[in-house]
Amino acid sequence: MPPKSSSSKEKDLTDEDEVLQAVILADSFNKRFKPLTSGKPRCLLPVCNATLLDWTFESLALAGVQEIFVVCRSYPELVKAAIRDSKWSKPSLGLKIVSIITSKETFTPGDAMRDIYTRGIITSDFVLVMGDLVSNIRIDEVVRVHKERRRTNKDAIMTMVVKPSGVVHRTRSKGESAIFVLDAETSECLHYEHVTGYPPKKHAKIPREILAEHPEIEIRNDLIDCGIDVCSVEVPSLFQDNFDYGDIRRDFVHGVLTSDLLMKSIHCYVAREGYAARVADTRSYDSVSKDILARWTFPLVPDDNHPGGHSYEHIRGNKYLAKGNSVVLSRTCKVGSNCLIGAGTHIADNANIQASVIGQRCTIEANVTLRNVYVFDDAHIGAGSVIEYSIVGSNVKVGEGSTVARGCLIGDDVILGKNAKLGEFERVSRRRDEGEADESDKEDEDEQSEDSELEEAEARQDSESITAIIGEGSNAIVWPKGPRADEEDLDEVERYNNQRLMRIEIPIGDPASDLPLEYEGTESDSDASERESDESDLEMHALSRISSATSTSAISTSTPGLNIHTLHDAAAYSEFQAEVTQSLDRAFAEGHSVDNAAVELKTLRMASNVPLRKVREAVVASIVERIEVVEGDAAAQRREISKMVGRWGPLIDKIGGVDPVETIEVLQYHCAKSARLPLFGQILAALYQDDIVEEDDIRAWHARPEAKGEGLKDTSFAENVKRCWLVGTKMIEQFNEQESSEEESGEEDSDEEEQPSKKPAAATAQAAVGKKEESSEEESSSGDDESGEDDSQDSEDDAPATKAATAAPSQPSKPASTPASTKESEEEESEGSEEEESEDDALAPSQPAASKPSASSTTPAVSAAPSAPPPVPAAHAPALVSSTAAPAQPSTQDEESSEEESESEASDKEPAQTAQSQAPPAVASSKQPVTAPSKAESEESEGSEDSEEEEESEDDAASRATEPVPQAQVSTPKASTETARPPATITTQTESVATIPAAVPRPRPGPDVVGGKQNPVVASGSGQVASEGATTSRATTATATSSVATTQHSLRGQSAQERDDDGGEGEESGDDSGETDEEGNTDDSEEE
Amino acid sequence: MDFEETPSKITTKEFLAVVLAGFGNELAPLTSNNGDEPCPKALLPIVNKPMLDYPLAWLEASGIRDVLLICPAPHRASVLHYINSDSSASSFPSLRIDLQAFDESENLTVGTCQLLRHFAHRIDQDFIIVPCDFIPPPSLPLSRVLNKFRTEATYDGAIATTLFFEQPKPDKTSTPEEWRSGPASTSVVWDEKSGTLLHVDTPDEIDDDPEEMALNMSLLRRYPRSKLSANLQDAHVYVCRRTVLDVLKEKPRFDSIREEFIPWLCTPQYNSRKRSKYGHILNPLHNLPSQRLALEHCTLHTGLPSAYEPQSALSSPMDEVAPTETSSLRVGVVVHRASAGYTARANTLQTYLELNRHFLSQTTYALPIDSESRSLIDPKAQITSDSMVGHTTKVGERTNIKKSVIGKHCVIGKYVRIVGCVILDHCVISDGAKLDGCILGTNTTVGVKSELSKCITQAGYEVGDGENYKNERLDVSDWAAPQHDDDTSTEESDEE
Repeated sequence: MPPKSSSSKEKDLTDEDEVLQAVILADSFNKRFKPLTSGKPRCLLPVCNATLLDWTFESLALAGVQEIFVVCRSYPELVKAAIRDSKWSKPSLGLKIVSIITSKETFTPGDAMRDIYTRGIITSDFVLVMGDLVSNIRIDEVVRVHKERRRTNKDAIMTMVVKPSGVVHRTRSKGESAIFVLDAETSECLHYEHVTGYPPKKHAKIPREILAEHPEIEIRNDLIDCGIDVCSVEVPSLFQDNFDYGDIRRDFVHGVLTSDLLMKSIHCYVAREGYAARVADTRSYDSVSKDILARWTFPLVPDDNHPGGHSYEHIRGNKYLAKGNSVVLSRTCKVGSNCLIGAGTHIADNANIQASVIGQRCTIEANVTLRNVYVFDDAHIGAGSVIEYSIVGSNVKVGEGSTVARGCLIGDDVILGKNAKLGEFERVSRRRDEGEADESDKEDEDEQSEDSELEEAEARQDSESITAIIGEGSNAIVWPKGPRADEEDLDEVERYNNQRLMRIEIPIGDPASDLPLEYEGTESDSDASERESDESDLEMHALSRISSATSTSAISTSTPGLNIHTLHDAAAYSEFQAEVTQSLDRAFAEGHSVDNAAVELKTLRMASNVPLRKVREAVVASIVERIEVVEGDAAAQRREISKMVGRWGPLIDKIGGVDPVETIEVLQYHCAKSARLPLFGQILAALYQDDIVEEDDIRAWHARPEAKGEGLKDTSFAENVKRCWLVGTKMIEQFNEQESSEEESGEEDSDEEEQPSKKPAAATAQAAVGKKEESSEEESSSGDDESGEDDSQDSEDDAPATKAATAAPSQPSKPASTPASTKESEEEESEGSEEEESEDDALAPSQPAASKPSASSTTPAVSAAPSAPPPVPAAHAPALVSSTAAPAQPSTQDEESSEEESESEASDKEPAQTAQSQAPPAVASSKQPVTAPSKAESEESEGSEDSEEEEESEDDAASRATEPVPQAQVSTPKASTETARPPATITTQTESVATIPAAVPRPRPGPDVVGGKQNPVVASGSGQVASEGATTSRATTATATSSVATTQHSLRGQSAQERDDDGGEGEESGDDSGETDEEGNTDDSEEE
Repeated sequence: MDFEETPSKITTKEFLAVVLAGFGNELAPLTSNNGDEPCPKALLPIVNKPMLDYPLAWLEASGIRDVLLICPAPHRASVLHYINSDSSASSFPSLRIDLQAFDESENLTVGTCQLLRHFAHRIDQDFIIVPCDFIPPPSLPLSRVLNKFRTEATYDGAIATTLFFEQPKPDKTSTPEEWRSGPASTSVVWDEKSGTLLHVDTPDEIDDDPEEMALNMSLLRRYPRSKLSANLQDAHVYVCRRTVLDVLKEKPRFDSIREEFIPWLCTPQYNSRKRSKYGHILNPLHNLPSQRLALEHCTLHTGLPSAYEPQSALSSPMDEVAPTETSSLRVGVVVHRASAGYTARANTLQTYLELNRHFLSQTTYALPIDSESRSLIDPKAQITSDSMVGHTTKVGERTNIKKSVIGKHCVIGKYVRIVGCVILDHCVISDGAKLDGCILGTNTTVGVKSELSKCITQAGYEVGDGENYKNERLDVSDWAAPQHDDDTSTEESDEE
């Protein structure tokens, strides 16, 4: 740029200088300084006792800027006031400062630029800086170069100021940097690549097309982005045109450079002289402060041109003391080099201050040690405290003997008690008063978001350990460490691990040694890929000479490469799955339609190029994992499942292909490795209900070797798979049963044929199965020990049970009669109440005595099993209750029974039990199912009250049938309720369920029996129990584990659907009740 | 005079030069067989000197004594004849040339790496790989490359030094499009300050990602200010440590030195894993004391590249940086700019022609000196001073020769007009022929009054009387219907 036409240039310059404008984006748009910035904007944080904004003004004033627009978003009033009070607004300076308050919706610099555009305040080329700049670069020179370039090249719209520094530099952020690809001649920026510290970037990608026009380019990874841009007028309008530009570098620069349409160019100004740095994070806060103290920013130094207007005396060793004798230094205190001490500060005896900045009016008491500490105004550091590499907000009081380790941020007005011990990188802020919190909530939503974090912090303040950290009498709250919950939503740069690279810190140690960081990380990563290629080399090699015997070694070495491939795949898949989960989360939270969600998933699948099965797995997994586990409440659990499946189940078939068999398999395998294993049966039932899978599908699945877990290694996983398969077996047996029973029950068909009636019946039957199982489990807990005692006791209990059981064997449908009656009363929702009861019981310690009762209760269940109702209660509180629940129940039930008796309905139903009355009840039941579903739903919602009544009534019925066993009665009502809900078409199922038990082998009593084995028990539970009576039930119960109980729940889910059917069957069951008694007796005898 | 020889004897064993001579498929049809006689690429003349002369002279000038010359088996006889001939013996008295042939028929695709591996047992010391077609400019002595290697190998453990030259923008009008088949220049990332080759863009990578070039971040961290040049060409001159051969043995898949091995060799210097894997091979522990200290205090030493050197005066202090490894495993690079003298590899027809023209413009009126040859040139022939005529070439009267090279033993009739041509030995050009911008292979016969413009003929080709060709490749095989012969050009270009 030789001054050819100096005269004309000068003229130009003078012309344009008149309007040299600058825009300061005085908001950081991030939270790196929290909690220091809760309560004031970052640009008002003091750096060397002058606010950042002042430093920025000073930098701009040096450049001859005459009109400054300050765009502020958070705490605009404070910024305004600060500007008004600062020396810059004195008219004598000739600097025109206009503060622009932008809306809270301004989340990015891009938004701010759009705001600027709409305001139309920019009239010519302008300087754009962030509000955290400390610089002595001659920006006017940059402006001149920029204008010069503009004269010949109208497309050069922006000039970025960069400073060569080297890769590692204390003002170069480790967490966020960039690679600039420049034309060596013209400094035109040809490519901009943003680099995040963590996760480490592996490769910089340079588009080859730029080589066509620029054969010699420079790739520079050594530049500090000073954050000073000289922009042309059209820059704001470009932001306006591209509404998605957020970040000036990553979006705008990158966008402009990669755009084929814009044809604009961006240049860099490589500042060879001068200092410029942004205080973008606490780490750079530290290094910029050091640079100021070390006079790199000259002429912007504390003893001259201090932007805050303070005057300091510069003493050898780069110590700065406020002039005017206001600083009181004790005779024995030590002030090391690179320190700045503000006016009015007292430093007591033996205090040791190294490389620290201390604000005005601070008090440093005796024996305090400060190393690399930044203390804002009016702070008070108690005697004997030791603080290192930290920032202490204004008006903070640190108690005596406190220790603050490196990297801590202490917010304004915090009071730390005596002997507080802040660990590394703690952040504390003042606990707010309630009213204050509300106030700030109202103030603006921006603060709200920060409040969420604050509240989170507040929420966890109760623990003692916190007090240990902040000391007695502190008003502080400790902010949570570690990544935030909503980490995923954050920009990559702002994520926790990356932010760790930006914290104030001992410069030489490693900032985050545990992070697989940058360079090491990159290398290892690249190594991984390297190894791959190397290994593939070897492979190739091996192939080439495979004829020779030497190839073996090569092959063996090549396997790692293969593993890496699979690892890659796995990683890709897990990423995909995470995406699906997120997508579903969104869909869920925002209530998308299934179609929309499906579209989104399809897109994801395309993007990730995963096989359809993976999508299905992901969807099924997401749905399953999203089902809430309701401990101890089978009904609620079932409700949860049916809600979830009903809402999202259809999605499974909309992801691009319908393959129900695979769906089941996927579900099975997912459940097998999930904590929701016990829900498998129920979910499957729910799918069945929603017609997502058909009976044939279940059968087809069941027949597949994969379903049996063949080929799997013998692990718990395989076992779980097997368990699921057994649940399937049970279901299929139910199907079979249903079919057969349908055939058998041809007489009843009049009712049954109407699907609703059938289903309920089936449901009840299933429910019964479930209950039986549960009951058996209950027994199991207590059972083993008690066996001796139990038998005697049990025998009593069994007697009734056996009766029921005996009834069952004759025909599954018969037992249902009792339930049917109960159903009539529509007490289906009794489950809730029962559950409660059971829970209460659970509270009672599980003692042998308790177990005995439970055993008895189980037996009733067994007896009930034929009639189908009993399983329900157990299902509700499967694991918890089992043994203990039993004892309590009887009593309550008894009470209830008395009450129940009062209820006329119940009594009415009782008659139904008898064979004679069967027919009428059956009819009734069949009718009920139709209405029942809706009612059931409403009833369910109503809760326990209804259920209690129902139960009672049911109980009565049961008790009448078999008076000795009240529990059994209780259980029956539940079953009926369960069945009532799902209006599903499963008539046949219920029946089958009832019948299945018979077919199933008797459960093995051994205590070591695992869930898997129990399943058979469960399956058999209903059938066998009915036929075999109490013995089997006991045996099974002894071994049963809680998990089994939960699996049973799932069955119940099915059974619930079928309960209506039971009602239909109920006609027959009435007869059965009598029979069961007989059988029960026989069984008891056997056991004994 | 003995004392002049002694120092050169001491240095003899320092380097072994490996000169690779290939088939020169890119130069077809000039290198196609003349009947049964091969026309070895290495012996194609550039301004009437076999091109092999140039690299050999270059080697000799730098004090190299031992040359391992590798050529295809069919060429062995003619090359051997050339080596033992008077001309070469007189021009390279100090060279000990070990001629080795590789059998082409045995392995059809003989990559340069394979050659090197095959002859590795003959290489006992550090070595220089030189192609037979690199025509170095006088401004670029080999010693410049060698010295850089010597310094860096002892100072910081460099493992190789390469030579790249800037490709001048080709003059598109001078040669027809069909002649241009050579590889486009590759993109190279290098550190200008330390002269380090960092990354070579390989054809494989371009295939992988034609849009973007991926640079390892560890490279950019170590060399934060690197240059990416798209206009540099690999001279295929590599000075390597002997240990490089050991690594080459571990990489049996590599085929081409230029396209695969050298790019790979650049990676250990910044890739820690490769460093750990191959470092001990490349830079085995030895007891020799490092010359580092001495070199650091050498006044001539300009300071060796430290990647972390602060680059501007007014910058705040740097953080402490971990010391670099003792051996950098660097690959040095010497970049020869176009402004410093014309350089090229005569591996394409275009560069071959350009080289001839370049040398013509450098020489002054190169007619044969001996009277016998002189007498064959008719005094009425007009030969401009930027032309060259070989020995015992007969030039008829009123023949006009401009900007052309005429080989030996040619017969040029009357009223012939030759402009901007390269005419190899033993050509017969009948009366009244007009040649413009042609390259005629040996023994080409041009009929009466035929006109050729920008044509190339295979050795032994016969152009009939009055025939007219423009922009043609004239091959013997199918001379009835001359076509471009692309079939033979599939083999590797860098198979020198």
